[in-house]
Amino acid sequence: MPRHPALTALAVVAGIALIVLAIVYWAEPAGSLPSWIPGHQAGSGHHHVKHGIASFLVGLACLVYAWFATGGKRSAHARS
Amino acid sequence: MVLGLLQGVSELFPVSSLGHSVILPRLLGWNIHQNDPYFLTFLVATHLATAIVLLGFFRRDWVRIVRGLGRSLREREIAPDDVDAKLGWLLVVGTIPAGILGLLLEHKLRHIFASPRSAAFFLILNGFLLYGAELLRRRAPQTSSDDDARIARQVGWRGAFLVGAAQAIALVPGFSRSGATMGGGLIVGLSHKDAARFAFLLATPIIGAAAVLKLPELFGHQGNGVRGQALVGALCSAVTAYLAVRFLMRFFETNRLTPFAVYCVLAGAGALLYLVLS
Repeated sequence: MPRHPALTALAVVAGIALIVLAIVYWAEPAGSLPSWIPGHQAGSGHHHVKHGIASFLVGLACLVYAWFATGGKRSAHARS
Repeated sequence: MVLGLLQGVSELFPVSSLGHSVILPRLLGWNIHQNDPYFLTFLVATHLATAIVLLGFFRRDWVRIVRGLGRSLREREIAPDDVDAKLGWLLVVGTIPAGILGLLLEHKLRHIFASPRSAAFFLILNGFLLYGAELLRRRAPQTSSDDDARIARQVGWRGAFLVGAAQAIALVPGFSRSGATMGGGLIVGLSHKDAARFAFLLATPIIGAAAVLKLPELFGHQGNGVRGQALVGALCSAVTAYLAVRFLMRFFETNRLTPFAVYCVLAGAGALLYLVLS
């Protein structure tokens, strides 16, 4: 996999942020979410479980991308 | 039983299971609505049965794919000759957009397009979509005797993403998930057989995850009074799903999507005409 350090760093930051966001979705009811987060509904006690799963999956995908982008024994050997 | 049998077949045939489960009860005069809680619970059970059948049918492939995923994660790269790892990650890349779109849009779309008339109309469009995929089909050279190697070579990351995202169209009753993925597979250059195989592998995690996510409804108060019917429906669905996947894997060795396209157009047009006139 070609190495793009800036993109990899962005993927790590985005991955962690999205997984934190997923935990917030699961832990907090829609009424308690910050108003800038999609799904905020004033006074609602509903938990956005699906939003949380979607956020978690995208976050995980970002981290997996970063994992592959910073690894690769064979390609590293080939380059050296 | 009828709905279970129908669900098992139509979930895997490229003819829209959701569309049929919306249209058929109305045509038969049954008092069932696709957004009724008990009907959704019933569908959860039949979807779970279909996912288990698919998992069982392709169990050896899934074992290889999961091992390939693990191997690539350990080595932190997808080796060029590791077909199982490449296929596994293609399935992951295809599943993520479908899963996210499904999670975010399913409820809204199901309510907007709940009427049998719209399902019949979209069934006609599904027929044109299948036929369009046949027309746009890219005939790539078949360079390997191994099915998975051909798929891994032919479907790139972008192709897997687009084919996976195309599954979201099946959230609209009348459009078929397997039809969208098979059509997408043909357009990126897969043969009919490989497109069907990729579609079924891609369908397994999505159908299974959708069913598992809604399992609490089946075992919660919403499932009260429906669990018996749901179990019978699930068993019927499992039998027809097994027969359907066996049939389709053989059918697509030598055949095309065209018969299903013709069926969708005729069935959709007939149902729409009946619903409008009645």
